[in-house]
Amino acid sequence: MNSLWGIVFKKELKDLFRDRKTVIMSVLLPLVLFPLLFGLIGKGVKSTTEKVAKEVKIAYIGEESSFKNFLSSVPNIKIVETKDYQEEVKKGTIYLAVVVEEDFDEKLSQEKMSDIKIIYDSESTNSQTALDVVKDVINTYKDEVVKGRLEKRGIDVSILSPVDVKNEPVNREKAGGGALMLTMLLPLYLIIYAITGPMAAAVDLGAGEKERGTLEPLLTTQASRMQLLFGKLFAITVMGIIGTTSSLTGLYIAFKYSMDFMGDVGLKISIGSLVLIGVTAIILNMIFAAVELAVSIYARSFKEAQTYLSPVTIIGMIVAYGTYMMDVKSASTMMFNIPLANISLIIKEFIIGVYNPMHIVITFVWAIVYIIAAILFARYMFSREEVVFRT
Amino acid sequence: MIEVIGLTKKFKEVTAVDNVSFKVDKGEIVGLLGENGAGKTTTLRMISTMLKPTSGTAKICGLDLVNEPDKVRKKIGILFGGEVGLYDRLTARENIKYFADLSGLSSEEANRNIEFLAEMLDMKEYIDRRVGKFSRGMKQKVAIARSIVHNPDVMLFDEPTIGLDVSSSAIVQDFILDCKKKGRAIIFSSHSMREVERLCDRVVIIHKGRIVYDGKIEDLRREYNGEDLEKVFLRLVGDKDE
Ligand SMILES: Nc1ncnc2c1ncn2[C@@H]1O[C@H](COP(=O)(O)OP(=O)(O)OP(=O)(O)O)[C@@H](O)[C@H]1O
Ligand SMILES: [Mg+2]
Repeated sequence: MNSLWGIVFKKELKDLFRDRKTVIMSVLLPLVLFPLLFGLIGKGVKSTTEKVAKEVKIAYIGEESSFKNFLSSVPNIKIVETKDYQEEVKKGTIYLAVVVEEDFDEKLSQEKMSDIKIIYDSESTNSQTALDVVKDVINTYKDEVVKGRLEKRGIDVSILSPVDVKNEPVNREKAGGGALMLTMLLPLYLIIYAITGPMAAAVDLGAGEKERGTLEPLLTTQASRMQLLFGKLFAITVMGIIGTTSSLTGLYIAFKYSMDFMGDVGLKISIGSLVLIGVTAIILNMIFAAVELAVSIYARSFKEAQTYLSPVTIIGMIVAYGTYMMDVKSASTMMFNIPLANISLIIKEFIIGVYNPMHIVITFVWAIVYIIAAILFARYMFSREEVVFRT
Repeated sequence: MIEVIGLTKKFKEVTAVDNVSFKVDKGEIVGLLGENGAGKTTTLRMISTMLKPTSGTAKICGLDLVNEPDKVRKKIGILFGGEVGLYDRLTARENIKYFADLSGLSSEEANRNIEFLAEMLDMKEYIDRRVGKFSRGMKQKVAIARSIVHNPDVMLFDEPTIGLDVSSSAIVQDFILDCKKKGRAIIFSSHSMREVERLCDRVVIIHKGRIVYDGKIEDLRREYNGEDLEKVFLRLVGDKDE
């Protein structure tokens, strides 16, 4: 036979999943929100940049020169004939205009300095993109010229670059540059999701039960209050974990496909770290699920529950943001005794692949203490007659 | 069947129920009559083990309320007025099944009882539809089925017809009479003498937590020479104010 809390758990999950609002808010929305947002912005930026880079429409002003030949030999640059280039750049029909000084070639052969003026629109991103392309071309052209002059004198080109700088981070093997960003964002997100994920379910299963009038018949069944509490608590935790998972999945998809973020910075997290971060996220969800359920049982109605829960959210967010910039490398062991901050720090350590047994034990013992305290708090609320039967 | 013995409940300084004793036999409907705040709900909540008595107890089918609340719960069914108390997103069947499961019924037993109740209450047509869009009358039937799915010997009704229209009230009243026929012991609380007169064999009138009258309806009528019982009730609860 099914245990009674199991019956409660199954029923609550079924009930929650049939609530279209809950499913949309805690599963679907987090999943699509970031990809949509990033996708729209990313696509917009990317497509115009690509369009400009594919065909850089510019005007060449001045007499024929070797530079003009060089420019037109670049495949993606298109030189457009124009009379009023100032006006056309302003209108955006051409992206920029290159103005070459008189006697350009002659000065060049005399090894004198020659001017090239670029007229562009500082307010147009298209013009900026074109500017980058053209500057690159000019630099290549300059290099060509310098090379020619040096060769004429029989000097090797390498004389111009006495030092070659290569950047190599010390922690390349462990985690890429993306890890820094992730150590800041992931704990923050995990805490916020653990607060917001279980919220709707907690309100529904606590105060909602009172408001619907289902609590009284429920209390006259064979299920004890602890069994009811645990069934509800686990159902709420599951909703929280689903919320966290879909939020993170959404975030991952967003980064992966819109910005190639993960790929570019070479983020590497070991399976072990991922598992530990997962466990930490589950614990976080349990803590907030229990606290929110207790508050929700205390409240008389949906509305009251929502009112009481907003300070919980705010306090959680403040702590989460407080740990946002905290550097794990300089964190003392003492700091692993601060609620929430310790969880944030331990996640940061896991991301960069640091497994400090002392820190892990302290944090997890505290986490268990929080969970037990939160469950006791919820049980206390549920056992008090004046709370359960408040009208 | 039900024997209430000196039941008392104090909420801080308020004594909501004060040393209340009465008995209910098998197949008997006892009306618990009182004005708002008289202590009806509190009494019924104590009998149904939701609230712990400050002192006193009650024996349900010989089981002591204070010592064996789990066993007592198996014996009682409750139908409390106000919100019907159903899960809108579950079907009628799922609503009833949930409480059957939580009352410790086996799956076969639960299904058998639900089939029987669906037939009896004429709910077959909509038993597998979600409760959310039901009319009040349909919901009332589901609530009734839920209250009795575990075949309790004792039924407690706390103002079950409150806020119901005539036809929904009739469903509930028919159900109460049916429970009587099946030999259940029934307590029915109300603040309307009319309703109590129509349904009950005996009446227990409480005022400010105390019993002011306990006897057969006929006796009450005889005692007051066929006077309008509503007026008698008002006088009984009024007397105590002085
Ligand atoms: N949980 C509680 N905490 C404090 N006082 C309570 C509580 N429940 C009931 N009371 C008080 O006990 C008294 C009896 O209340 P009860 O609800 O039993 O009356 P009732 O007869 O059911 O009234 P009604 O007709 O309004 O339903 C009232 O004075 C009420 O304020
Ligand atoms: Mg009442």
